[in-house]
Amino acid sequence: MSFLHLWAQNLPAFWQGVEMTLELTALALLLAVAFGFVLALMRLSRLRLLSLVATIYIEVVRAIPVLVLLFVAYYSLGQIGIQMSGFTAAVITLGVYYATLYGEIFRGGIEGVQYGQREAAEALGMGSQAIMRRIVLPQAFLAILPPATNELADLIKDTSLVVTIGVADLMFQAYQASAANFHPMDMFLLAGIMYFVFYLVLSQFLTRWETNVQRRRG
Amino acid sequence: MSNDVAVDVRGLSKHFGDRVIFKDVSLQVRKSEVVAIIGPSGVGKSTFIRCINYLHPFDEGSITVLGHELHGTASGGPPPTRAQLREIRTHVGMVFQTFNLFQHLSVLENIVLGPMDVKKVPRAQAVERAMGLLEMMGLTARANMYPRRLSGGEQQRVAICRALAMDPQIMLFDEPTSMLDPELVGDVLEAIQRLAQEGMTMILVTHEMMFAKEVADTVVVMADNTIAEMGPARQILEAPRTLRAQNFLARVLRRNADEEARLTAMGGDEG
Repeated sequence: MSFLHLWAQNLPAFWQGVEMTLELTALALLLAVAFGFVLALMRLSRLRLLSLVATIYIEVVRAIPVLVLLFVAYYSLGQIGIQMSGFTAAVITLGVYYATLYGEIFRGGIEGVQYGQREAAEALGMGSQAIMRRIVLPQAFLAILPPATNELADLIKDTSLVVTIGVADLMFQAYQASAANFHPMDMFLLAGIMYFVFYLVLSQFLTRWETNVQRRRG
Repeated sequence: MSNDVAVDVRGLSKHFGDRVIFKDVSLQVRKSEVVAIIGPSGVGKSTFIRCINYLHPFDEGSITVLGHELHGTASGGPPPTRAQLREIRTHVGMVFQTFNLFQHLSVLENIVLGPMDVKKVPRAQAVERAMGLLEMMGLTARANMYPRRLSGGEQQRVAICRALAMDPQIMLFDEPTSMLDPELVGDVLEAIQRLAQEGMTMILVTHEMMFAKEVADTVVVMADNTIAEMGPARQILEAPRTLRAQNFLARVLRRNADEEARLTAMGGDEG
């Protein structure tokens, strides 16, 4: 039963790490969703230039490993005078990277709404913003939620990369603890379980939300 | 042009790339007139009526709808402003082949959305009007249901309610019954006929020849990307003068006759 004792001993430090991981995930997700929505609208724009810029951005950024982007944000930008804390660099990196993935999910969801409904709304005299807000997005939402939940799982896991730039997240705490008590097996196993529980709770919540919306719409 | 003309189409042409959709189409529709457009598939009938409320821009010619003039993109006139488009679309209702109801909204919400969003009608008033329209269509019990729970015929009648809720002066119908099972066609045609009797100005793309003969004042035959012939419904359908109109009608009549023969044969097998 020694491992339970060991886990209990480290729980306060781990909990701090969990809080940091939560905070990172929430802020990065917010940025990714907002920026991703902008990218989706740009790609769908009739203006060729906007669509081209978004396409190039998406293709380039998602082809680069997150770790490389993280180091660019934290170390390389510092070299040219753009200094930021590890936490800020982490949020921005994860946000702009996941924006490319969310952007493509949003675009697919928006394009998936039957074209005839847009035409019907236009024929009623509705403006393009109202059509987006009242017809397209509410329906795209249902198509977007499942793949968006999947990406969220990846985002949570990728937050662990910030240990490399010294942000005190869950992974960082596990690493510190294992260096202090020489029980890497227990420490990283505990971290793994915590990541898993974190994801489980979130995905359950999102799935329930999805089912509710679906049920409400008969 | 006298001011009882509701729609005045002059020299309309449209193409997608090299492909001509239609060319040099001219048509005048008087107030309270019912015009049926018939013709083989792929001659641009659906595209043509979408030009009237500018869902599709066109290249050449002009359309005057209730005093608003629309110009072809290649003929140099200014494109319509947003306010103009809203004005035209508020007064021109449209019903589609595929119903196109908003799937995430209940029947009632489908109908009140346009008046509330576009005409800023207060909700209570919009709901009252919607319930009145649903009652007229015999759909009161469907008000809180979602579109996918309804039969095709019910969906199309809801779509008609949705268009009528805007109090349009002109109604456009794009093959309103061609996606319906035969036994559901009747209810929808009945609703359209009632509108005609109430004096609604209508332009109707249809494959229902008998119906066209019954409700339309004027029949337009589109073939080979232009108007082959138009005139009083009975004359066009019973004694077309142009070869193209004759060919088309002969084909349709033959198809109907084949169908009847097949049905008779099936009846014979059973006996």
